[in-house]
Amino acid sequence: MTEAAVRVRGLWKRFGQQVAVGGIDLELPAGKFIGLVGPNGAGKTTTLSMVTGLLRPDEGTVEIVGHDVWRDPVAVKARIGVLPEGLRLFERLSGRELLAYSGRLRGLPGAEVDKRATQLLDVLDLAGAQHKLVVDYSTGMRKKIGLAAALLHNPEVLFLDEPFEGVDPVSAQSIRGVLERYTASGATVVFSSHVMELVESLCDWVAVLAAGRIRATGTLAEVRGAHPTLQGAFLELVGASGRDAGSDLDWLGGGAAR
Amino acid sequence: MTDLTSTVVRLKLSLLSNGLRQSGGRRAAFVVSAVVAVLFALLELLGLLALRGNAHAEAVAVPGTAVLALGWAVLPLFFPTGDETLDPTRLVMLPLRPRPLVRALLAASLVGIGPVYTLLVLAGCALAVAHGAAGYAVAVLGVALALLVCVALARAVATANVRLLTSRRGRDLAVLSGLVIAIGAQLVNFAARQLGSAGLGQLQPVADALGWVPPASAVAAVRSASEGSYGTAVAQLAVTAAGLAALIAVWARSLTRLMTAPDGSTLQAADAGAQGRESGGLGRLLPGGRTGTVMERSLRYIWRDPKTKAAWVTSLAIGLIVPVFNALQGTGSVYFACFASGMLGIQMYNQFGQDTSAFWMVAMTISSPRDAYTELRGRALALLLITLPYTALVTVVTAAVLGSWPRLPEVLGLAFAVLGAMLATGAWTSARFPYSIPQEGHKNVAAGQGGLAWLSIFGGMVAAALLCAPVIALTIWLNLSADGASWRWLLLPVGAGYGTALTLLGLRLAAPGTAARLPEILTAVSKG
Repeated sequence: MTEAAVRVRGLWKRFGQQVAVGGIDLELPAGKFIGLVGPNGAGKTTTLSMVTGLLRPDEGTVEIVGHDVWRDPVAVKARIGVLPEGLRLFERLSGRELLAYSGRLRGLPGAEVDKRATQLLDVLDLAGAQHKLVVDYSTGMRKKIGLAAALLHNPEVLFLDEPFEGVDPVSAQSIRGVLERYTASGATVVFSSHVMELVESLCDWVAVLAAGRIRATGTLAEVRGAHPTLQGAFLELVGASGRDAGSDLDWLGGGAAR
Repeated sequence: MTDLTSTVVRLKLSLLSNGLRQSGGRRAAFVVSAVVAVLFALLELLGLLALRGNAHAEAVAVPGTAVLALGWAVLPLFFPTGDETLDPTRLVMLPLRPRPLVRALLAASLVGIGPVYTLLVLAGCALAVAHGAAGYAVAVLGVALALLVCVALARAVATANVRLLTSRRGRDLAVLSGLVIAIGAQLVNFAARQLGSAGLGQLQPVADALGWVPPASAVAAVRSASEGSYGTAVAQLAVTAAGLAALIAVWARSLTRLMTAPDGSTLQAADAGAQGRESGGLGRLLPGGRTGTVMERSLRYIWRDPKTKAAWVTSLAIGLIVPVFNALQGTGSVYFACFASGMLGIQMYNQFGQDTSAFWMVAMTISSPRDAYTELRGRALALLLITLPYTALVTVVTAAVLGSWPRLPEVLGLAFAVLGAMLATGAWTSARFPYSIPQEGHKNVAAGQGGLAWLSIFGGMVAAALLCAPVIALTIWLNLSADGASWRWLLLPVGAGYGTALTLLGLRLAAPGTAARLPEILTAVSKG
């Protein structure tokens, strides 16, 4: 595992006047569970979209396991799985039909797709809802079927944008179980989140993003530094730790009802 | 008036006035629609009064009442959110007996613009045929009965379908409502023209039959009483009353079931398993690989996605109505049959916009112009699976109605050429000018992309017409030249071959653009 799973150089994206991503250099090691953390609006979704080839960057290059995303799409698209945030699925298909569609679209043999789909539906606890249309799924079920579609072709690198957002604890646990088994086999997971406890418990490698720039990268211990929790380190990194509400709201609290 | 009845009526009144208090726009909309409805009703009332003494008054008044009732039956299905008291599940926690509840809800549904409009029009229908003291007496009773039948009908239909109306399927149905109204308008237009040429007398048999169907039977009773056939009048009133009783019984039963059975949201779709099996069969008939996969998804979307379905049904209906109805009226030409292939060819336009932002799933699997070509070809083939037989059918029917069989081959050839040109330009504009189709509401273009949509569809249609010019020119030449008639059959193979060539060329040209612009297409189709 000497090769980086993802190598990003000088990545920029502007939307009109606003700079969404302002020059990101990033090297993500292969075989790790990697967390991309940052507050809302930090540019996590924009970065992941550009890395996975769904959004064209203004400047910069992205390589995934040594292949350029824009110059060598054949090699890259076969090696990655994606679960984007804020984009639909083909919701008028049932869960099983969606998996059959996306597997066959990737050129896998039909029988193999059906076998893998059955197993994924079982493991992700979707077997009972496999014939329901995805449009009638709950948020947690959608994330799980999206994850199944992203894993179906056994990618080397998996990109998940907010996979736990709006997901109930039971679904979150089954997503987690699948992801842990997947990384244990040497594959790479890159996922974005703003829930620090989650990142801390899942990831062994972290990149902190704020206002379109990388603030820190490294193993969990390196990024945490002297702080006892990732939350504390994160707040300091994004410059929010000084904002203590304590003295302004001194009238707030139980006891003296005034 | 019992306590419950007055409470529910007051609830309905407060819901109305609270709704108006929310915003000035809503108040204005309510006032405008109330004024328009009352004006419209008064106009109809005057028109019906003008028919008094006319021999055909009954032929208008009785079917008119039936149409009004049909409206009451259908409207709650399309506008389920219009009346919150229509949703009895909201009252489910209250300790209410079915009988008083039915009475109270029936009284509450008499409040509103719709009942006032209906009352005015029904009064017009009754007065148009009423003469003498007995006639007027029956008219008062008849109008009251007919109004109650209309209201009870709406309630019975809505309650029986409340599970449907509060579910996603119900919202899907609402997307189709505009379409039903549009096609209905075409049919009404056609029927009106037929009546205009043939006279109102044509409706007499219809009126005679409807005279025994509630609530039209109430208006028929007025007519019978005015003519002195008191026995018939009493029988017709009895039929109306029996109809009302039956409707109320059906309504009360489904109301009781609804309020004692588990809520729809806790029930799973029972037909889900059957759906899976049926679609497996479809998959086996299609070719393998990406082509079959893409075709299967496209065909499923035509049936399951309300927006796609609405677009298809519109194209299929207009493609049939224009040539065949014109032919039926003797004003058409067999060449109008090309309208069908042109209308259906429009479905090839904005292919990726029809995917919405789910296009990312397609984009992730396209790595070369070859992939894009297979994707577009699969979509075109799915389309052809429906359009080819349909075009042939419409052409044959039009030729049959007009009796111009000798022209069938050339019109078919021309229709296939048009279809090929539409597919070619559709594929190319799908890649070049994609735009978003909002999934909610009746709009088919996202804000700010209207110009793009117009440019792609109209530019594409003009280009398709130009592309067809050689076949059109050949048709004209063979029709003008002296011994052309014996060679006109040639247009069928020529048109079909030319259309195929155009389609393949269009797909070839569209593929590299699609493969190179995947992120731009995704951005363009994700605004809905």
